[in-house]
Amino acid sequence: MKTETQIDSPAPGSTPAPPRIRVVDTDVHHNIKGKEDLYPYLSRVERERLVEYGLPRNTGLYQANGGWKGARADVFDAGEEVDPRSNFEMFQRKLLDACGIDIAILQVELTPSLVALADIDYSYSLVRAINDWSLEHWVAKDPRYRLSITVPLQDPVVAVKEIERLGDHPSVVAIYGVCGSARLYGKREYDQVYAACVERGLSFALHFSNEGFGMNPPPTAAGYPSYYAETYLVRPQFYQAHLSSFLFEGTFEKFPQLKVIFCESGFGWVPSFRWRADAAWKELRWQTPWVKKLPSEYIEEHIRFSTQPFEESNPPEAVDQIVSWMNGAKTLMYSSDFPHWDFDPPDVVPKRLGAEVRRRILADNALAAYPKLAGLAGS
Amino acid sequence: MSAPVRTAHPVCPVADLPPGGRKIVEIGGRSIGVFRLEDGRFYALRNRCPHRGAPLCEGRRMGLWTADRPYHRALERDGEILRCPWHGWEFDLTTGKSVFMPEGVRVKSYPVGVEKEPETSVENFDVSERAGMVVVWLGD
Repeated sequence: MKTETQIDSPAPGSTPAPPRIRVVDTDVHHNIKGKEDLYPYLSRVERERLVEYGLPRNTGLYQANGGWKGARADVFDAGEEVDPRSNFEMFQRKLLDACGIDIAILQVELTPSLVALADIDYSYSLVRAINDWSLEHWVAKDPRYRLSITVPLQDPVVAVKEIERLGDHPSVVAIYGVCGSARLYGKREYDQVYAACVERGLSFALHFSNEGFGMNPPPTAAGYPSYYAETYLVRPQFYQAHLSSFLFEGTFEKFPQLKVIFCESGFGWVPSFRWRADAAWKELRWQTPWVKKLPSEYIEEHIRFSTQPFEESNPPEAVDQIVSWMNGAKTLMYSSDFPHWDFDPPDVVPKRLGAEVRRRILADNALAAYPKLAGLAGS
Repeated sequence: MSAPVRTAHPVCPVADLPPGGRKIVEIGGRSIGVFRLEDGRFYALRNRCPHRGAPLCEGRRMGLWTADRPYHRALERDGEILRCPWHGWEFDLTTGKSVFMPEGVRVKSYPVGVEKEPETSVENFDVSERAGMVVVWLGD
């Protein structure tokens, strides 16, 4: 079973018939065991700073999460004190093998704490280290893994440097950014980032985090929530803000090939956003005449939504209508968020949607959303 | 006509399930978690969360956090609530009923007991307890 679904890294020369890809997991969070893992990748001055001050922390606002320490409580196989995100063997057993994942896209847990630092040189040194470590210790050790490289988007010029450094690696399929940002991502300073992505066939994976941390603005423009559950619920607004920016700055007119992955954004809000955006464009089009199409058309062409946490509608089948309204058969992609506590297994995608739609959500849409996966055969 | 058939399925010698312990066993194709509370009571629940199918019985045993008004937390029934290891749904270990909707959402609960083996069934209760088998009764 496992050998049937395993895929090989792109190899030059001979091309045997590619195995069918049945499940792509678009949001998986691995991590280092401790800061020591990064030492070999740092210069002396950076290493000494990391030794002395430790990793930057971004949890100051809430100091709480779900599950156990933010993870599923049943994945602490190496003991309470070992971060399950760092347990390579457990990932293979409890995610890849148990869930039949053919391709898993890694987005390292450490990213947020590294990219809200105002000291861009130190930030970038840590970013380089975590990317090189991820490639060497995870991606190179199991052909099912791909990597979204962390880029320090707080400085677009430096972000481009990292894309140029690693963007041509065959297993690097996307850049990984977080919603918390000093600027909205449609702003033209980011055009250089998207140009570098499109040139190398990389998508932009955008994940919540860092709102209110480091140099970033507060987690909501209406004030600071008190509890973790509140921050959980307000996440769609982060994505809505960046999405509005992409649409009306004309990002997708400038980069017609760019795909943006909304990781863990939820998707129940998408139909009403599309309707409101289309209505607003019809009324206000003259203010941004470079926006040529209905916003819903750009969204359908350029934005992909990871499924986890899959909407739990009441009644349960109501979500099927939402999937239809957002053309989820084209725009939704399965994600597990392993090993986080709000993990979804692949069977979260309802059988009610039909075999064809399920197949697209579980695999085919992802193969189309990352240019470097485009050569692989869906199921 | 006939009364429901209940079958006792052995889990382990009682000594292997000390107070505060748990065992997850496979009985009749079902994964079942057997718990022994600190005061000696036994409970057994189906090891499958009705939400997303997680191995519920690998979750943490917690207390029941309550508040009679905002911000005033109180802890009751320490150790009698099982929290699902994935999404945190809470279940009453003693009944299988969920905390958030006791009548609408629940997990199957099974009776548990200790069967004394005949040859060790002497008057001394403690001895026979130690020598006995923990059993789970499954209905028909």
